[in-house]
Formats: sequence, structure tokens, C-alpha cells
Amino acid sequence: MEHWPIGMAILMALLFAGVPIAFALAGIGLVGLIAIIGPLPALSLLGSAFFDNGRDYSLSVLPLFLMMGNFVVQSGIADELYASAYAWMRHRKGGLATATVIACGAFSSVCGSSMATAATMTRISLPSMRKFGYPDQLSTASIAAGGTLGILIPPSVILVFYGILTQQDIGKLFLAGLIPGVIGVIGYAIAVRLSIHFGKLDLPVESKLPLRARLRALKGTMGALILFVFVMGGIYLGVFTPTESAGMGAAGALLLTILHGKFSWAGLQSVLFDTIKTTAMMFFILFGALTFTNYVNMSGMTGDIQSFLGGFGDSRLLLILVILCIYLLLGCVLESLSMIMLTVPVFYPIVAAHGIDLIWFGIFVVMVTEISYITPPVGMNAFVLRSVVPDVRLGTIFKGLTPFVMMDVVRVALLTLVPSLVLFLT
Amino acid sequence: MSPLTSAHVTTPPAGTSLSGEQSTGEPSAGGQSPSRTGQVLNRVIAACGGVMLMAMMALTVVDVIGRYIFSAPLTGAGELTELLLAATIFLGLPAVSLNNEHVTVDLVTDRLAQRLQPWRKAAIGLVSALVLVVVAWRIWVYADQIAAYGGSTSSLRIPIAPLGYFCAICTVVGAALSAAVPLITLFKSFKGKR
Amino acid sequence: QTTLTVANWLPPSHPLVSDVIVPLTEQIAEATGGNVTANILPAPLGPPAAHFDFAVNGVADITFGVQGYNPGRFKTTNIAELPFIGDSAEAMSVAYWRTFDALLKEAGEYDQVKVLGVFTHGPGEIFLKDVDVSDPDVLKGQKLRVGGGIVHEVASALGAVPVEGPSSKAYELLSQGVADGILFPPESVSFFKLIPQLDTAITVPGGLYNTSFYVIMNKAKWDSLSAEDQAAIDGVTGEALARMAGAMWDRVDAEGVTAMDGKITITPATDAQLAAWTQTLSPIVAAKIAEVSQTGIDGQAAYDMFLSEIDAVSAE
Ligand code: NA
Ligand code: NA
Repeated sequence: MEHWPIGMAILMALLFAGVPIAFALAGIGLVGLIAIIGPLPALSLLGSAFFDNGRDYSLSVLPLFLMMGNFVVQSGIADELYASAYAWMRHRKGGLATATVIACGAFSSVCGSSMATAATMTRISLPSMRKFGYPDQLSTASIAAGGTLGILIPPSVILVFYGILTQQDIGKLFLAGLIPGVIGVIGYAIAVRLSIHFGKLDLPVESKLPLRARLRALKGTMGALILFVFVMGGIYLGVFTPTESAGMGAAGALLLTILHGKFSWAGLQSVLFDTIKTTAMMFFILFGALTFTNYVNMSGMTGDIQSFLGGFGDSRLLLILVILCIYLLLGCVLESLSMIMLTVPVFYPIVAAHGIDLIWFGIFVVMVTEISYITPPVGMNAFVLRSVVPDVRLGTIFKGLTPFVMMDVVRVALLTLVPSLVLFLT
Repeated sequence: MSPLTSAHVTTPPAGTSLSGEQSTGEPSAGGQSPSRTGQVLNRVIAACGGVMLMAMMALTVVDVIGRYIFSAPLTGAGELTELLLAATIFLGLPAVSLNNEHVTVDLVTDRLAQRLQPWRKAAIGLVSALVLVVVAWRIWVYADQIAAYGGSTSSLRIPIAPLGYFCAICTVVGAALSAAVPLITLFKSFKGKR
Repeated sequence: QTTLTVANWLPPSHPLVSDVIVPLTEQIAEATGGNVTANILPAPLGPPAAHFDFAVNGVADITFGVQGYNPGRFKTTNIAELPFIGDSAEAMSVAYWRTFDALLKEAGEYDQVKVLGVFTHGPGEIFLKDVDVSDPDVLKGQKLRVGGGIVHEVASALGAVPVEGPSSKAYELLSQGVADGILFPPESVSFFKLIPQLDTAITVPGGLYNTSFYVIMNKAKWDSLSAEDQAAIDGVTGEALARMAGAMWDRVDAEGVTAMDGKITITPATDAQLAAWTQTLSPIVAAKIAEVSQTGIDGQAAYDMFLSEIDAVSAE
């Protein structure tokens, strides 16, 4: 066993002391690397982590989807959308939070990234939930959790990575993600109910509107529907890629803002400034996480895990249970994509040797990765929420996420015991 | 809004567009309402970064329309997007530092006594600045290395090193602000007591 | 007793790792009598393009990669990436190493590292869907996914619409219909799971493009080894490494072709197509050779040596 457990412990201490996440990760990562490969190589690697990873075309979806979300808010579409959602949901307790989870699932079918899904949906749905008196604890948690569906419901950047790492058919992996994704939406809807019940939340419930009024309210969904069809249709007709859909969607949202007569130079400046700041915050955390991952990568952690797993006989269920526990622990401190790159090459030969289907294991890995997005202290989706709305405490978000994480664990258990739910469509 | 949120100290209620209502157009200020110099810096960053973001968006649109309708995609759209992305990220750093909006784990720190907070934040500001100065130094050295072999983009042959120098300078400014903002607050808390 | 850290940005299942890098480390250990062993890192330290500098700066001791990922840095690689150079990756790789050792290294592009090997993959071919393969203008207006560099210019010159994107995005580009086809060696079409997206292959004698690879070592680490260990390592790298890598590419290309059986129809380019393409591409070939000469070596002499060595190796 090398010194990586000490590194992780110091990281925890710094995080809880309030050192910004980006700098705690980068600092500990650098010190750990110096201990392993010496000062000059470690410093070179730091420079590369910060300068090379920011020039990655596929990451351009983050600022562009953020900008799209900001324009959607500016155009008033978000308000209209939620006004109509409210017309349909006002007689149900927590209806807007449920609507948010469903909308996250819908957006996930056009967006392959969980962080981008969470960032966009924050812009669109949080203002309305606040307007209708939902506590931040519930509304931010339903967005952060709903956002994780971005990597499960196809398209998914994580599944593409997994397919290439393990030589599995990406089309089959995408199909396999569909039913677990729908189960995820249902699970999160249940989590909303649980939050309301156990949090003894007093949410506004109003009388049911007559059908005619509710149908009239649907007119307010036109703007969002047009944008949604534009983005989705563009992808499915092959006019542009999911990566390009971010830029096209942002342009479409800007156009809608102008058509709605809501465009102003001051508003544009505000949208852009917010997007720049959030982009910088998110990417510096990513760079820090990658530096820390480099340290873990060099520290021999994967070798330690491999010898540890060798100690478990040939019970499949026990193996999966141990792997689940390892992922839950690692998911607390590692950035998600790095976690997959570090662990999948170690786990998948062992899993395959036990006769476990690798398509199923891919969905399992994505689901545990979803959990890592929303568990403290390093939970990227919670950070996204926090960087888009800096006036919410991180503690509030994580507290609200507890029932959602519980539902995730239930979902993993269900799909472990009934694997055909995953493999049915493939 | 929950009482917890409004009482919370790490980041006082953020500006305008973030708080839920329609944005009022003023570039938002997160932490301490920034000084006049700070506001000027915010505006400069908003203008430069805004142009870069709009350019990223326009590149995609022109590339897609060119490719789909005219069978003539924009050569180098991808690599221009990559350069603009890095520039936007690093340009945003000083704005985040100035407005004291770096994401922190506030699970424990908010329970700390109020009078200790300025000291804690000043210490953390110094740690953050130290990390950022090292990062800036290394990006600069790396850019020197890239300049030495003439590293460029693939199709348009745009040299990459100048972007590295730009990122390093932004990081230094971010480091200075990360330290200065909490130190000034600490200093003011003394003056307030006297 | 020295342990070398090997940085790897590819999946462990990729043949370049499992069939070249892993055997290479085993051969080094064996040749040095166990004095020099290697530890291949489980996850990438950074993007592929950063790996040359990882070896320069001692972040890792041995790295491998594609010179073209650092545009502007290497000009001598041009000769190995031109169209119509050869059909056997093994012959091309051995010839490339001999040319590198005799002429190309004088350009000084690799002075900061110890070069263990340079090599190429198999001939890059054309993969399309729903086209008339006999049409002389078969490439006109086709949206083709290409990497950067020479292949981009080749695709444009032949009237195709080049769609840029990393190879890991090839699946997305083809399955969404953003790209109609791709320029790839057969191995990559199979490895990136693209066979269901395509139905036609057009093969070109000598290939339409190629890609140059390197395997390098940190200089200080190399200098720290004993003269005996250095000699032992030299015995299993260089031409031997190029031969092993080239043979690997030939083998996986053949496997890729087998995997396409019944799914992709493979047709040789017609004489009319070849005549037109050769003529269109000759100015690019001339310009790329002239670019090699900018480094101070004789580009034309290197190109001629490369081609004659390919013939020589093929005749062995
Ligand atoms: Na998705
Ligand atoms: Na986590």
C-alpha cells in the first residue's frame, strides 16, 4: 500500500477547511506527484493539466449549453414553461420538482454530459421553483440528481468511453441505458415525494385548474418546444452532432430571445458574464481533479485495488457488492471521467472472468458514476449547481440529495438483481 | 428562499440574474460589492469574454450551415473553438476571484465563529494564490516550450504559445485577486472595530 | 535495477498497447537480464498530444504517440504520411526507421529525447456508404471524417468535404449522419465500432494516407542506464521495434478486413479514379517533400530512400 490514502485524507481536511475545491485538488495532487516523480516533472505535469485539457473540443459543450440555458432564462421561455407546468401540477404537492426531474430526463436525451444537463436545467427551472416557494434544498437536489441522467440516457460521453475501453458495442450500450434511465426518472420522482414527506415540507398546493385553462397554459410551452425540437431534430437528422448541438442551441435560444422582444444589450452582457464565470469555476475544478487523478494514477492505487479484489472467491454478487462499495468510496473524492479511466481497465477483466455481461457492467458503471456526481465532498453536479447559483450553500444541496442517492442505490440493487431490465432491449 | 441561504456567509446573495428573477443587466457581483476598479475589471472581462463566447457560437453555426447547405465547412472551426474555450476559461478566473465565487465545501466552515471568518478567508486566499502562482508559472514555462518547437494548430497553423502566455497572465491576475480580496476584507474588519 | 514508467493514453485492449508496448517492455526486461523493467500506467496522464513533452520533461520515462498530434513540431514525418507509399505496414515501418536513422534524425526534431522507434500503420483507405463505387467522382461532395494534417488536404483536394474531429468522435459523427464516410485503415474502422455505419470500401494501391508514430524515452533516464543495458535495449528497439509494430498493424488490418466480411464490400479503385487522384495529389506530394527540406535535410533524397527501402524490405 502506497501513500495515496494519506493524500486522500489531507485532501478531505483541506476541503472541509474551506479551501476552494479546485486549489485543494491541484495542491495535493502536485505535492503527491512531487513525492513520486520529483519536482520538475511534477511541475511540468501541472502545467500540462491546466493548459492542455482546456483545449478539448468536446468540452466546448459546457459553456455553450450554459449560454443556451442563460438565454432561455432571459427570453422568458423558462417562465412560460414553468407557468404551464405549474398549471398542470399546482394541485399536486411538489409537482414542479417532479416536472423538473422529467424535464432533466428529456434534456438528457439530447445531451451526453451530466454537468451540462445540470447547468442548463438549473437556469431553466430553478427560478420558477423559487418563485413558487420551493425550498432550495428540494429544488437544487432535484436538478443535481436529474442532471446525472445525462450520462445514462443516450447519448452519453461516458458510455462511449466505456465501449472503447472494453471493446463493447456502443449502440447496444446506448439501448441498454434507456430502461435504467426511465427507472431513474421514476426513482427521482419518488425521491421528491420522500423529501416532501420526511422534510415535512409545506409546499403550496392550489385548487385544480379546469382542463380548458390547463390546455390554454400549454401555449406557453411553444418556445421551449421549438428549441427542443430544433436541438433534438438537428441531432437525429444528422444536421449537427451532439457536440455541435450546444452551439446551435445557444444560437437558437438567442434568436428566440430576440423574437420574444426580450433582447437587450445589458441582458446580453449579463448572460455572457455569468457564462464566463461559471465556465471558469467548473473548468478549474476539472483541472484540479485531473491533477489529483494523475497523482492517484502514479501512486499505485489501481494495483492495490486489484490485489484486494483477488481476495474474493467466485461469488458474483459479492464481487459486484465490493466493486459497488469501492465506487461509492472513490466517487466521493474523484472526478467521474477520471474515476472510470482509472478503474474500468482494472475491473472489467475480473468481471468478465466471472461471467458477468459487459454491457450490463457498463450500465452499472454509469449508474455508480451518476452517484459520484451527487455525493459529498467532491460531487461535480452539486458544484455545478453551486457555481450557477452561488447563494446556495453546498451543505443545503448535499442534504437535499440524500433521498435521491438512496433511490440511486435502490436502482443499482434492482438492476443487479434483475439484469434483464438492462439487457432486455439489446 | 430558505433562511439558511440568506444567512449564509461564504458567499452573500449573488447578483441579480443568479437569484432567480429576470436579470437587471448589471454584471453580477458575488461577494463584496466590488470597488470601482473591480467594476471596471468586471466590465472588461464581460466584454472580452462575451466576444469570445459569441465567436464560439458563431463558429458552430457557420460550420454547420456551410457543411450542410453549401458542402463547404469552415476549415479549422474545431481548432478555433478549442483556442477560444481555453481563453474563455482563463479570462473568467480573475472575475471569479474578484467576486470571491470559487466553489468551496461549506459543510463545516459555516459553523465557525463569525469573528474568525475573516482570518480563515485570508489564510485560504493566500493558499489559493500560492497554488495559482505555481500554475501560472508552469503554464508560462510550458508555453515557452511550445514556442520553441513552433507548436501550432493543425489546419490554420495558428501558433499556440501566445495563448499559453495569455492564460498564464490571467492566472497571475486571478492569484493576486484571490489573495487581495479577502485581505482587504480582513483589513477593513480591523478599521471597523476601531 | 531500474523501473521505467510508461505513459499510456490508449485503452489497454488496443493492439498498439497489448501487442507492441507490452511485448517491448518484456523484451527490454529480458535483454537486460531483469535490470530494466517497466510499469505501464493504468490511466492516461493527459491528452495524447501532451505525451511527447511528458518524455522530454521526465513526467514519464517512456511515451508513445502520433507526431501529427503536435502540428508544427515535426516536418520529417511528412514523407511517411504521403499517399501511395506502400501496402505493407511492416515494410513501410522498417524502411521508415532506416530512413530516419540515416537522414531524418539530422533535422534535430528529436534531439531532446532518446528515440526507441518510429513506424507507420497500414495503408489508409476510403470507407463510404450508399455510393456508386465505379463513379470517377465518387468522392465529390462526400462528407469524410479525417484527422488533421496531410489527410485533411488530401480529402479537400479530391473534392470531399472534410469533417474534423478526433478519432474517438468518429462513431458519433458517422452514426448521426454528420459524416458520410471516413478515411481510416481497416483496423481502426473495426476498433472504433464503425462497421455497421458503412457498406463500401475503396482500396488505393499504397494507401491514400498514412500516420507516423513514435516511441521515445526521457534522455536523462537513458543516460542513467549502464552502457551494457543501453546496448541491450538498442538491440530490441529501433528497427526491431518498427518491424514488430508494422507487423502488428498488418495483422490487425487483416483482422479488420475479416470482420467486414459480408458487411462492407471492398473494391479496388478503378483506373480512371486512380489516374485522376494521382494527378490531383501530385502537387501536395511535392509541397510536402519541399517542407521536409526546410529542416535542412534533403527531402527528396529522404523520400527516394524511403521508397527504395520499402521495395528492399518487401523483397527480403
Ligand atoms: Na444523455
Ligand atoms: Na462524489
